[in-house]
Amino acid sequence: MEIKYTIQGLLVYMTIAAYLLAFVITILRRPKVGHALYLLGFAIAVCSFGYRWYHVRHVPLQNLFEVFLCLGMIYPVSLICRKALRVGGYAADMLIGAIVLFPAGFVFNAEPQQLPPALQSWLFTPHVAVYMFSYIFMAKATFQAICQLVGKNPKPGENLLGPEQATYRIICIGFPLLTLGLFLGSYWGKLAWGDYWGWDPKELWSLASWLVFLGYFHFRYMFGKKHPRMNSLWAIAGMAAIIITLLWVNLSRLFPGLHSYAT
Amino acid sequence: MYKYRRTIMWLALALIIVLIALSIYGAFIGAERAQQFFNQPPLVVYWTALAALLIIGIAAFRRLLRVPGLLLIHAGCVLILAGGMWGSRGGHNLQKKLFGIDKIRSGRMAIYEGKSDNHVALDGSREQKELPFSLKLKDFRIEYYQPVYLQILTHEGRQWKVPVEVGKEFPLGDEAGTIKIIKAYENFKIGMEDGKSAPFDDPSPGLNPAIEVQITQPGSQAATQYVFERFPGHSHDQGKFSLSYHRVISDYISELQIIEGDKVVAEKDIEVNHPLRFGGYHFYQSSYDDKAGQYTVLQVVSDTGLYVVYAGYWMLCLGVIWHLWLRHIFSRFKAKST
Repeated sequence: MEIKYTIQGLLVYMTIAAYLLAFVITILRRPKVGHALYLLGFAIAVCSFGYRWYHVRHVPLQNLFEVFLCLGMIYPVSLICRKALRVGGYAADMLIGAIVLFPAGFVFNAEPQQLPPALQSWLFTPHVAVYMFSYIFMAKATFQAICQLVGKNPKPGENLLGPEQATYRIICIGFPLLTLGLFLGSYWGKLAWGDYWGWDPKELWSLASWLVFLGYFHFRYMFGKKHPRMNSLWAIAGMAAIIITLLWVNLSRLFPGLHSYAT
Repeated sequence: MYKYRRTIMWLALALIIVLIALSIYGAFIGAERAQQFFNQPPLVVYWTALAALLIIGIAAFRRLLRVPGLLLIHAGCVLILAGGMWGSRGGHNLQKKLFGIDKIRSGRMAIYEGKSDNHVALDGSREQKELPFSLKLKDFRIEYYQPVYLQILTHEGRQWKVPVEVGKEFPLGDEAGTIKIIKAYENFKIGMEDGKSAPFDDPSPGLNPAIEVQITQPGSQAATQYVFERFPGHSHDQGKFSLSYHRVISDYISELQIIEGDKVVAEKDIEVNHPLRFGGYHFYQSSYDDKAGQYTVLQVVSDTGLYVVYAGYWMLCLGVIWHLWLRHIFSRFKAKST
């Protein structure tokens, strides 16, 4: 664990502080102040991402530090879920934002790197960006699935969906992004490495996470809401596979492969 | 009929779970072994069963035929599996047996600058095969990110990063003095000049990048040092500094010509992410002669089944986006307007 005594580090720590403060204040039933702080945190997160972009002179999605910096800009996902899907969980989103920024602030190396030839492609940004968006949606879906398992429902006056239905709706948003990420990655693999499917550990784990959500849809189609706990467990298993794809595959020596530059 | 459909759904779920387990297993054994594993006969049976179940599902569930998004998703998956199997090693062998199509599935070819070749060393065997046309390498070059930096480290832990700009002098502070970049070499060699050894940049084939620097420490005379990219420890350490010089590759470029008979029928500079497509094959920049930069190594891959897989990808993506996003957005607009 290391503290970053740089402008970049300062921006990351300010975002974490704003998100945590927003979370605490929202829990203490001051939702408006909490929301304002959440917005402030998002604004700093955007500045932090923009600063990094300016600093490295390419879209900062190359390594885990940059990817987690991107994941910290969670606010638009909260907004879409609230306005378009009637799914709550603002407070949880603030906490998710702080949690994903923690490794960027204290764990991952922020040394700027130049893009290796394989990453100099128009597919670099869309491939990684759609995956990041899908991961944030799936993290939100997992939170709703956990709420369903522990029996935490929205308050009657809030006009929000129940957690089982909310999980389904968010997965419906995240799954096409996950599919698009897989397809773009496969197409890029063909251009860069000569094969659209190289059986690389990262590819196989991302296929496994896609398949878990596919299983979720089939299971839910078969049983509907008869087994809500099982539905939730599918969603949580999907998120576990995503975490392994994003972190374990890159950090562990168990999975050497073509995606190792992402560490 | 209900029981029949129920069985199909259970089978589908079982096959998905099996594929999840197989993918996780494949991730643990590494890409090379995973590729062999997923192409073994029992797995071929699995892929065939999966494709067959998808087709049976499309036929058995009216909903899959009536709902365009679902039809696109399931038909897309069938195409991906069919294209993948048709383009696999087994698929190529089958095409040879059934239709006499003897195409190279994948292999590598090394071509020297100024020479043409059509021999491909097949992947996974010692066999060589010939392409129906030749490839000529006009030139191979490596490009580097600019500027290149020289890293300077003192034993006390102080460090500097200065751009390698010939003729420029950089101050390192009152205690350390200055450093001047004298010359950059592509192929550093030492020869004899007037009975003394003298470095020179050898134009003959070879790569030994180095830079010549002059360090002037306070109160002492200027000292010359050579910093080698390929031998990072091999700089004549003056006791105070440790120097290192490393260029970051930005691109590998092979300038190629395709020759049929005696005629040049196509030309292309291939780079990473920019392969050459010709005659049912794709050619990729794969490796190069890292000792002298005299030849390039290309990966040759057959495009059999590729466009079927791509069609499947498009159908799958369009189907998922239509079914889970667009139809809901359109129906919401429709409801609002009525």
